[in-house]
Amino acid sequence: MLLALAAAATISVLVTVGIVVVLVEEGALFFTDVPITEFFTGTQWFPLEGKFGVLPLLNASIVIALIAAVVAVPLGLGSAIYLSEYAPERLRRVVKPVLEILAGMPTIVLGFFALDAVTPALQMVFPGLGLYNALAAGIVVGLLITPLISSLSEDAMRAVPNSMREGAFGLGATRRVVSLRVVIPAALSGIVASIVLAISRAIGETMAVTLAAGTIPNLSWNPLEGMQTITAYIVQVSKGEATRGSLQYDSIFAVGLLLFAVTLVINIIAVRIVRKYRTVYQ
Amino acid sequence: MSTLETPSPPPPPSATATVRPLAKKRARPSEQLFKWLVVGLTAITMAMLIWLITSVLIRGAGSISWSFLTDKPSSNPAKAGFNSALRGSVVLMMVTIFFAWPIGVAAALYLEKFAAQSATLTERRLRERLTTGRVSGLGAGWVHARLWWLRIRPRVVHLIDVNISNLAAVPSIIYGLLGLAIFVGVMGISKSLLAGGLTLAVLILPIIIIAAREALRAVPISIEQGAMALGATRWQAVRSQVFPAALPGILTGTILAMSRAIGETAPLIVVGGVVFSTAVPSLNPLEAGNEALLAMPLQIYFWTDQPQASFQAIAAAGIIVLLATLLVMNLVAIILRNRYSKRW
Repeated sequence: MLLALAAAATISVLVTVGIVVVLVEEGALFFTDVPITEFFTGTQWFPLEGKFGVLPLLNASIVIALIAAVVAVPLGLGSAIYLSEYAPERLRRVVKPVLEILAGMPTIVLGFFALDAVTPALQMVFPGLGLYNALAAGIVVGLLITPLISSLSEDAMRAVPNSMREGAFGLGATRRVVSLRVVIPAALSGIVASIVLAISRAIGETMAVTLAAGTIPNLSWNPLEGMQTITAYIVQVSKGEATRGSLQYDSIFAVGLLLFAVTLVINIIAVRIVRKYRTVYQ
Repeated sequence: MSTLETPSPPPPPSATATVRPLAKKRARPSEQLFKWLVVGLTAITMAMLIWLITSVLIRGAGSISWSFLTDKPSSNPAKAGFNSALRGSVVLMMVTIFFAWPIGVAAALYLEKFAAQSATLTERRLRERLTTGRVSGLGAGWVHARLWWLRIRPRVVHLIDVNISNLAAVPSIIYGLLGLAIFVGVMGISKSLLAGGLTLAVLILPIIIIAAREALRAVPISIEQGAMALGATRWQAVRSQVFPAALPGILTGTILAMSRAIGETAPLIVVGGVVFSTAVPSLNPLEAGNEALLAMPLQIYFWTDQPQASFQAIAAAGIIVLLATLLVMNLVAIILRNRYSKRW
């Protein structure tokens, strides 16, 4: 019986091994046909014409994640400071779960929201904005990761002992000064880690960006243009019934491997930040 | 101390100086400004959520009707229904839970209740057996193997720990690629509800393990020790005392994990989710291997992707049904937690 339980625990390890093996094995098939240098330096991604330069896809993922961070960092940190330092306890207990609804929202819903509401609203500000654009995608992904930042940052801020606040208040500091100069520096490792984790989540986000940013690879930093992310490319190929063994089929594993590596590195950085800079207060 | 604001200089003393109560002192403009900034940022986030929900409601409310829930999909938006997608999601959840729950809970039990326990007693007993020379040959080899396992066990458990938290952060589309290569490619399962359910099961496995471990940890160790003091083995103590006490917490975590799975779109598309089909899947989970992979989020995706406004309306209606399902699941989880959770 104990062996059965232990076997169940090892399955989780097998899943990781499975992910790595599958991505590397199928990715390797892809790289026998496409040189790895061309993959990382090529600036054109036209699979049907045999042009496999991943930069447009990677660039789009980064652009959208950055827009999301620009949206989510102020919103998330502002909410965290409000909830941790200003809000009365009763209000906090209502606001926090409501914010977390956003984190549990299926991403397909956010994609619909981007196409149906955000882009039309943005078109009023930027006339001539196309239906598919990185800005709307970035904004809704930002909304998705805001509660991640606010929740984790708030936890870090609440872990700062009250005696530190009281000490600062006793020296004549105001609430703003206590928040900005005492609590935030003390909770900085947790706050930075929450932002890094949120960006990793934004890079792996799929449905909202597939719907809102379109399916045309475009190496551009202009957020008003449509662009295809790594995840959106995987969806596009999967929808089209690429036959097993074809170069297109292998290509989704190659870009999947890149995506997995990028998010893994970001997550490891987040863990390192917490471990290295955390101050433990009793 | 330059970081703190210098207090304003005291007013010049005068003959009629009165003591001003502190409470009446007006807050500095910068203080007010900062407070309104953080209040404003919180309000903007809440407003976006409200905007999202109202825009979906306004767009979709007109299309919600009984026939929307019972009709088959159709290329005519006025006749298209959500029934196949609903059925698909129900079967998917049955398959997912059938595979993910036992494995997840078993892994949590092992990691929390057996692997993490101190092994000094077992170790001493095994060493005694070697020194007294009661075992030899193959038996001694087995004892050595067990001793070796006890020595490396903490490291293995730590590795599994790190691995589970890393898995929880892997983008969901990667699980789709895993499912496509393993379940469809290697195992040869057709692109069906079964393949989709298995993929979602792998996806929520780390979530279930983490939640179940937290629930098990919340049961005080004294319960287990009490049972063992009365002569129960650890297995008996865990099975008949700790596990039943942790069950409501485990179920709450399971429902929350399912609410994550039911909204997932990307992994299903990668495993071969059908975005348009007029098939009506059977509700029998044993048939899942032969049924086209249909689900609520897939249907919503297909409709949202159509340019016509009439499809946007039924997409919104589908979203309303999906969100209502999520709401019910979360309410059940909250009720379960409030009703059965014990304060020790």
